Amino acid sequence: MNDKIGKALVVGAGISGIRSALDLAESGYRVILIDRAPHIGGILSRLDYQFPTDRCGMCKMLPMVNRDASSQYCLRKGLFHENIELLTSTEPVSVQGEAGHYRVALRKKASLVSEDLCIGCGECVKVCPVEVPDSFNAGFTTRKAIYLPVPHRIPNTFIIDTDSCTMCGACEPVCPTGAIRLSERERRQFKILVVDDELIVRDSLKELLEDEGFSVDMAESGTAALKCLTGQKYNLMLLDIKMPGMDGVTVLRKVKEGFPDLTVLMMTAYATVETAVEAMKMGAVDYLLKPFETDVLIPKIAGIYNEFEITKARFVDVEAIVLSCGTGFFTPADGKDTCGYHTLPNVITGIEFERIVSGTGPCGGKLVRPSDGKRIEKIAWFQCVGSRDLQNNADFCSNICCMYAIKEALLAKSGTNGEAETALFYMDMRTFGKSFQRYRDKAQEEFGVRFENARIHSVVPEDGTGNLLVRYVDISGKIHEECFDMIVLAVGQRPAQGTAELAGMTGISLNPWGFAETVPFSLTETSRPGIIIGGSFSGQKDIGESVIQASAAAACASRAIIASGKNPIPESPPETILPDLLREPPHVLAVVCTCGKSILTSNDETRLSKRFETDPEVNNVIFSERICTSDGWDELVGQIIKYKPNRLLIGACLPYMYGRKLKESEKETGLNASLTEIVDIRTPAVQFSGENTGESQLVLNIERLLGMGIAKLEQVEPSITPSLPVTRSCVVVGGGIAGMTAALTIAGSGTDVDLIELSGHLGGNLKWITETIEGFSIQTLLKDTVQRIEKHPLIHVHTGTNILSSFGQAGHFITTVENNEKEVLTLEHGAVILATGGREAEITAYGHGASEAIVTQKEFEQKIATRSLDPSTLSSVVMIQCAGTREEPKNYCSRICCTVSVKQALFLKKQNPEIAVYVLYRDIMTYGFTETYYTQARQAGVIFIRYTKERKPEVVVSGPVPKVKCFEPILGENVEITADLVILAAGVVPELPAGPAFTFGASCDTDGFFLEAESKWRPVDSIKEGVFACGLAHSPRTIAESVATAEAAAQRAIRILSRNRLPSGKVTAIVRHSLCSLCGQCIEACPYGARSLDADAGKILVNSLMCQGCGTCASVCPNKSSVIEGFSTRQILEVIDAALCI
Amino acid sequence: MTITAKIDLKEQNPLAALQQFFAGILKLEDIAAILVPQRLPTKNTVMPTLVTDPSFLGDADPLAPAFLMNAARISSRLTRKPMGGKIAAVLRPCEIRAFIELVKLKQARREDIILISVDCLGAFQNKVYSKFAGQNGTESTIRFYKNVMGGNTNEMEGAEFATACKACEYPVSANADIQIGLYGMKTGESILVKAQTETGDHILKQLNLPDTNEPPARQAAINALISQRTGYRDEMFAKTRESSDSLDKMTDYFSNCVNCYNCRVACPVCYCRECVFVTDVFNHDPYQYLQWATRKGIIKMPTDTLFYHITRLAHMSTACVGCGQCSNACPNEIPLTELFRTIADKTQKIFEYEAGRSLDEKPPLSEFREDEFKEIVGIE
Repeated sequence: MNDKIGKALVVGAGISGIRSALDLAESGYRVILIDRAPHIGGILSRLDYQFPTDRCGMCKMLPMVNRDASSQYCLRKGLFHENIELLTSTEPVSVQGEAGHYRVALRKKASLVSEDLCIGCGECVKVCPVEVPDSFNAGFTTRKAIYLPVPHRIPNTFIIDTDSCTMCGACEPVCPTGAIRLSERERRQFKILVVDDELIVRDSLKELLEDEGFSVDMAESGTAALKCLTGQKYNLMLLDIKMPGMDGVTVLRKVKEGFPDLTVLMMTAYATVETAVEAMKMGAVDYLLKPFETDVLIPKIAGIYNEFEITKARFVDVEAIVLSCGTGFFTPADGKDTCGYHTLPNVITGIEFERIVSGTGPCGGKLVRPSDGKRIEKIAWFQCVGSRDLQNNADFCSNICCMYAIKEALLAKSGTNGEAETALFYMDMRTFGKSFQRYRDKAQEEFGVRFENARIHSVVPEDGTGNLLVRYVDISGKIHEECFDMIVLAVGQRPAQGTAELAGMTGISLNPWGFAETVPFSLTETSRPGIIIGGSFSGQKDIGESVIQASAAAACASRAIIASGKNPIPESPPETILPDLLREPPHVLAVVCTCGKSILTSNDETRLSKRFETDPEVNNVIFSERICTSDGWDELVGQIIKYKPNRLLIGACLPYMYGRKLKESEKETGLNASLTEIVDIRTPAVQFSGENTGESQLVLNIERLLGMGIAKLEQVEPSITPSLPVTRSCVVVGGGIAGMTAALTIAGSGTDVDLIELSGHLGGNLKWITETIEGFSIQTLLKDTVQRIEKHPLIHVHTGTNILSSFGQAGHFITTVENNEKEVLTLEHGAVILATGGREAEITAYGHGASEAIVTQKEFEQKIATRSLDPSTLSSVVMIQCAGTREEPKNYCSRICCTVSVKQALFLKKQNPEIAVYVLYRDIMTYGFTETYYTQARQAGVIFIRYTKERKPEVVVSGPVPKVKCFEPILGENVEITADLVILAAGVVPELPAGPAFTFGASCDTDGFFLEAESKWRPVDSIKEGVFACGLAHSPRTIAESVATAEAAAQRAIRILSRNRLPSGKVTAIVRHSLCSLCGQCIEACPYGARSLDADAGKILVNSLMCQGCGTCASVCPNKSSVIEGFSTRQILEVIDAALCI
Repeated sequence: MTITAKIDLKEQNPLAALQQFFAGILKLEDIAAILVPQRLPTKNTVMPTLVTDPSFLGDADPLAPAFLMNAARISSRLTRKPMGGKIAAVLRPCEIRAFIELVKLKQARREDIILISVDCLGAFQNKVYSKFAGQNGTESTIRFYKNVMGGNTNEMEGAEFATACKACEYPVSANADIQIGLYGMKTGESILVKAQTETGDHILKQLNLPDTNEPPARQAAINALISQRTGYRDEMFAKTRESSDSLDKMTDYFSNCVNCYNCRVACPVCYCRECVFVTDVFNHDPYQYLQWATRKGIIKMPTDTLFYHITRLAHMSTACVGCGQCSNACPNEIPLTELFRTIADKTQKIFEYEAGRSLDEKPPLSEFREDEFKEIVGIE
């Protein structure tokens, strides 16, 4: 491998790990993506539905440019990318080195099933006698000890849960491919020394452990034990504590001196447990309590054995490490108030509910209680279980629970035709994301989800029904009782398992609650350069935010890679020119794997040969015993060389396995890999096996499949993948923090940037803000950023400049701009980032403008900055939240105003503790770790009064100071507050002028913010490739969050800008101009806007980069003048014909 | 859209009045030519002609029950690109509807053409017409006019009108710039001239015709005709469905098709430059034929007949205006119009679309509505 090529390690293959890995891989870096689970997808592999679409959509993350580099199917099933090495069941064990040069040791868990050999037939499951709860379905179902970790992985190889496996060996002989390596033999090599003075203990342990397949020796005393150790190497010692002569602890000490690598497990009676604990401090790994319970003993020993079995660590050298290890969840059973979790079967957690509604879940997606099968008719969600809870050391909000609970309530509604009664018990509904408020309103108003602002008192079972009686207190203090079929606990976040170890290993710091901590104004950078945080590792995030942060993390990783002097993979030379086959008639070689005669018999072989060899275009039909083995493969290569076919059909299992192999052997065989068809004959073999339909049906089916493959090959047209030249320059519109960050990120990758700013100065909103709630200085950030921009040789700043017009597509845009001097400039660029920003909304409500004492948050901020307001002169301040927002027409949360109010309240209280500060709010949106400042504000004596949108406060300006009237729900009375100052949270509005947005091909949502291609999965992309957005133009957000969107948008642009030419997909649409009637239906129908009419030439053009080969154009075109490469009409007709021929 | 005028007939001859009216239009400064059906004396039949000299309008005969081709195609050819002037086109309502479809398919332009429709009296199948017209075509047209105006809207002198006409519920064009009305006017006395668009208004203003009001009897007559035709049509639908509701019946339906593709050539909305059925896609290998025959023991030659017709239905039934030219073109008298109209009725209803109704309605396949066909796509 080329040493100059940049490489990154991404730890955690949940969606954010996948996003970071793909972004880096698409930018031309090599990526090692690891996950400790045996599958990718993280938590989302267990969640089927995501709001706001209430569907999945993960696949939308797959590359759209140069998409053939990657697999193009369901991401829940798997991910293949030519620049990504994916290692599952793998964890980092050590990280050495420093910025730009990290050496990481990776350890893969031992797999007792060979991934290369397992074909997923499931014969092993039939014979496995062990049944344990299935953690994938949250324990609602059971599985065997040999099992599929997720139902939908590719390759879906089985794994063995060594903790529950009894090593009975039943599965080994039934495996048709010999993939199971249950290691009786290997366990024999694991030598255990049992040291105990009691013979009965020694004997029983020996018998037990030998039954488990281990080699066991015995010693009756410490002295004997030490003697044994000198004679032979042992892997494990079971050591009794209380022995005559030399006691266990002494033996341990001596052992640790002489044989430091030996693992020692203490054995103790209850009386000497404390000694055992002491022994652990001296190096014993654990202790066993006498009398032994087999259930405890065996897993413990098996666990230690597995540690040994772990294949030797592999060392990788990388320039950057992205930690996207996700979060864990609070376990209510461990909390002070369990809400009946684990004792009442119908109290479940959110993730358990997700399994109930999942089609692959315990109830097949039907909304019934797994405990008794009763239909769920009335169901409640409890919010903030383990979040916003000082008693559980959780002074934080978990960010996503409000929204997932609403989503789950809607899923419950849709799963019952709207009949289920659903109620959410909450403190504040934190709908702070883009579009969340409308989603909530829809749930409430359209679907009748009940939102109950209340505190839960208790949950008790109703007699004999399994139903649950809930006592709760509403906001006025009234106590209610209500019965539910099921209760779902929206459990809060906790640091992922192993976070502290990983932090120790990488040297990053953790916040007070144990989550990864980043540096000020960044969501991704840690105190250690090159070690980067992605996704939820620094606190739970919804999908959209995770994806944004993951792309931002990729941007930081590329920055680290570049800083260390490494480069992307050089662009590949033009494809090896293989013989031009256009005029050569097809010669097909068909190679069919009989899987050691287990699929096809000799008779079948004769039949198939006879059938296909009559086809004049099929040269030979050859049968192979096992293509998947290396011998089988070599044989195949030999046959290709011998018969010189120009088309190859392979009938075997696991079709995706062969793509890369074929590509690699292209030179040797001279066979164009794209002229190969691999037909899965294993799946039908499983479907039609044995008793169901008879063997002949199976052969017929295989014949049909092979026939289809041959028909496809005979008609395939060899083609060369088109590529488009890229103008390696970017335009960034807007010079606020988002625009500046995007510009710096892109310029950092070696690409020219034109930064266009309408006003005379860079800086945007940063110019009027002093510091963040955490106390970070914004003016320092501004000064520093502007300086870096001005110094950067690749950034060309155009202030006082506006966009006149633009046309073009990803890879090449031509944009004209005009400056204040009316000079017009034409810029050519390959991508554009819209960072046009936003501003505080204008407001006339609540008496704004009628009195000097009524100001907006921004005005207050400015008054403080200029010292034109003296807090010591104030005695009462009222803040009104959601002034003009979270109701139509501006029905969205501006996300930052609650935090700003808390910041300003704390500031006022600090300056003058005597000020009475009242915050009138609807829901306090101090999400994430900002929650702690909300707590501080309440502790500082700030009074928070809830109001509803139906009963808003009033500001009366008549006397010298304004009066604020509102309803106090806890008192249940109207109150009047005389305020020296009223501060209005007017919210954020975007400054994304429709003109520039439209000229680049982007569009705006109903509130005027940038409309994403997909709010969750492609959050900074526009539908039109090559156009991205960030900052406030995208959505209301904090500075650090704006920076993250900017880095994400920049990274998305870098994917395009990092190459001179971008290969498009092999499967793209083309136009046969001689047939085309120019009716233009294809232009209208193309969902990617990849088609246009060149009126001068009288031709329909297709941008091959934007075209995703979906085929919509081909289906609207009546005479196939629009066709999809690789799917000619004739070919498809013949495939259909072959499918119907039997 | 204000002008409604009347032209009084001399000697009960609507043709002379129409010829004069067309000449008047052609003489207007901004009209370069007029496309109008004229009798060709040598063959005694009627074909579209493009006329620039008003003195050549003496044989114009838009009322003859001859409908040799749908002139929407001709109009498309004339308007596909700017021609350097405006033309007026005298078309039947079904021709106008086909033209509208072609405009939507970008095969024609609406900008430089003034559409003039004459109330359609119906037509015979081509073969029937030549017998009917005999030696004196013009005279036969007048006879035909009186016959239809007298309420005989299905047959004349023992000859049935074309099925397409008998089932046509659009005898009057709603989309023409200028509508020339016959129904509900006193036979032989006068005809109505009505502007239906601003363009039509602009033209009529210059012609200074005597104002009139549309007689109430006109709408009543039209309604009566439509209801009669709708009845016929629905019966035709039922019968056709019965004879084509399975693959076997469909095969029988087309059993004497020789794959000549005349129906496609005659179809006004079949707009492909080259039909996929004449491309290499259907130029099968000899081995393929043998395979098919081996599999079934017997195959009918030529192959792909049903495939062709179903493809045409799939491509064009949403745009079918029911003009009947496919039946006219068929050498083997396959009842194509019946089938096309029956299928089109359903496909157009499914998409809430009506071929030729409005330029504002996009062709169904080029429009995406997120909420349609939930039962098919399975997404709610």
